[in-house]
Amino acid sequence: MHLAHLRLRDFRNYPRLDVDFAPGFHLLLGDNAQGKTNILEAIYLIATLRSFRGVGGAQMVRHGQKGYFVGSHIIGQGEHDTKMYWSVRERSLSLDGRPVRKLTDYLGVLRTVVFCTEDLLLVKGPGRGRRRFLDLLLTQTYPGYLPLLQRYTRALRSRNALLKQAAADPRALEGFSRELVSAGQEITRLRRELVPRLSPLARLAYRRISNDAEELRIEYAPSVRQDFAVELAQSQPRERTCRMTVIGPHRDEVQLLLKDRSAAEFGSEGQKRTLAIALKMAQAEYLTGIHGSPPVLLIDDVMGELDAKRRGGLLPLLERAHHAHGQVFMTATEENWPRELAGQVQRWTVKAGALERG
Amino acid sequence: MPALPDTVAALIGALNKLPGIGPRSAERIALHLVQAEPAAVENLARAILEARRRVQLCAVCGALTEASPCALCSDPRRDAGLVCVVERATDILSLEKSATYRGKYHVLGGKISPLNGVEPEDLRIAELERRLEAEPIREVIIALGTDVEGDATSFYLARRLARPRLKVTRIAHGLPAGSGLEFADEITLSRALEGRREIE
Ligand SMILES: Nc1ncnc2c1ncn2[C@@H]1O[C@H](COP(=O)(O)OP(=O)(O)OP(=O)(O)O)[C@@H](O)[C@H]1O
Ligand SMILES: [Mg+2]
Ligand SMILES: [Zn+2]
Repeated sequence: MHLAHLRLRDFRNYPRLDVDFAPGFHLLLGDNAQGKTNILEAIYLIATLRSFRGVGGAQMVRHGQKGYFVGSHIIGQGEHDTKMYWSVRERSLSLDGRPVRKLTDYLGVLRTVVFCTEDLLLVKGPGRGRRRFLDLLLTQTYPGYLPLLQRYTRALRSRNALLKQAAADPRALEGFSRELVSAGQEITRLRRELVPRLSPLARLAYRRISNDAEELRIEYAPSVRQDFAVELAQSQPRERTCRMTVIGPHRDEVQLLLKDRSAAEFGSEGQKRTLAIALKMAQAEYLTGIHGSPPVLLIDDVMGELDAKRRGGLLPLLERAHHAHGQVFMTATEENWPRELAGQVQRWTVKAGALERG
Repeated sequence: MPALPDTVAALIGALNKLPGIGPRSAERIALHLVQAEPAAVENLARAILEARRRVQLCAVCGALTEASPCALCSDPRRDAGLVCVVERATDILSLEKSATYRGKYHVLGGKISPLNGVEPEDLRIAELERRLEAEPIREVIIALGTDVEGDATSFYLARRLARPRLKVTRIAHGLPAGSGLEFADEITLSRALEGRREIE
């Protein structure tokens, strides 16, 4: 699968951009603040409809303009055109010329895995980021997951609204509890199946790129131990004091352990950074395994931060993507790009919101 | 372009508030109307006023009607032992099109939605309970959408309406997941009705 054409209008610092990309390795070189990361952000947006920088639509509209447009031509099993427009007043998304009605019809047209500095939050930040990591992976591999998650979220928010009321009808609360439980149990089950498949992939990736011999293990720590319905009922006294739903998949944790100890608490900075990359490598490997073709890899700066040994560990993944007619986009400044790739890269120069070959 | 006369702008504003009519269609319709034969426009205005003046909600079932109780409620050939609970009056039209259902209806007027501030008291549930006392109803068939609120409301109704010798069933089977009745075609709807199940 690869992104064959990218079209931007008033996106970040790009007034207009039309560019064709072949499969393979693309190196986006340029000084700071020229628009390298913005390109990766646009590609990730096509794939997930979100920014990996965690911002909303307004920040991506070029300053002083009304809305942005991001369009693409994607070649995979079939060929697809995507078009997205966003402004405060109007949003539209179309696939092959038709408006997208259900997100499940759209997601999966382009699959990406991004490596960026924000990944460090996966290790250091709150559980929300790790849950979102699992959710994204399940969304990319299991068609029913997104609707399930939306149902769960809707039931959770409804339930929390009822718990905030002074005298909510207990039968109404029970109605939403049932919805919460049925969607929640399915989410827990899918996450529980995913983590043990991911863990060995991450361990392997970690071993490949790290300088230490400590073993990485990922463990799923679900908020619900056995029976959601029973445990939800038991949590009622706490619910009444907190006035919200205190157990369920929205409180799940994913533990990242180095030699059986929490990496967030005991790991060194270098270990945490390596671990974040290993998680993303595991994500890419997992997607490749399921879909039979590698996702488009978006690598923002990270290579520059790594020493030669750890960079070497990443190379096989990149080469595999290369051989399978996949695609890799990597940003770097002139000083820090990985020269070991020199033979196979297609070089682009990014300067003040424009892209040039060579 | 010179500015539009104020009355035309006001007309566009009013049309734009109608469902399914965006700013462009509103403008096109308004410009058409102000240039059309006066008699034709008067007819249209009269038809709108007449319809609005005559149509009301049936005091029994909540359907749109000119006479209350409505034709469905007073039709002796319909099975008075069956009541189908729908969210909106327009859902009755979808079900009637499928032509398999021969019982009566009850319009709820919405579904329980804590996120939109809709509570059970805002729905026509007390009216339904009164009907259960007054009419020879054996079965209540709940035909709400299958989204979170629809499911929670169905469960709520099953609990609240439960009484001896009354069956509460739910149509769901085959309906598009997470949607309302308006997306279901006629065949799907009649299958869904046949395959209704009792709510435990
Ligand atoms: N909404 C926007 N409208 C216009 N320009 C923007 C907008 N958002 C960001 N920019 C500009 O985009 C540039 C940053 O782009 P980007 O983050 O892609 O830089 P980069 O090339 O990746 O730099 P670095 O090497 O420092 O990471 C900055 O000049 C910033 O002012
Ligand atoms: Mg950058
Ligand atoms: Zn009636």
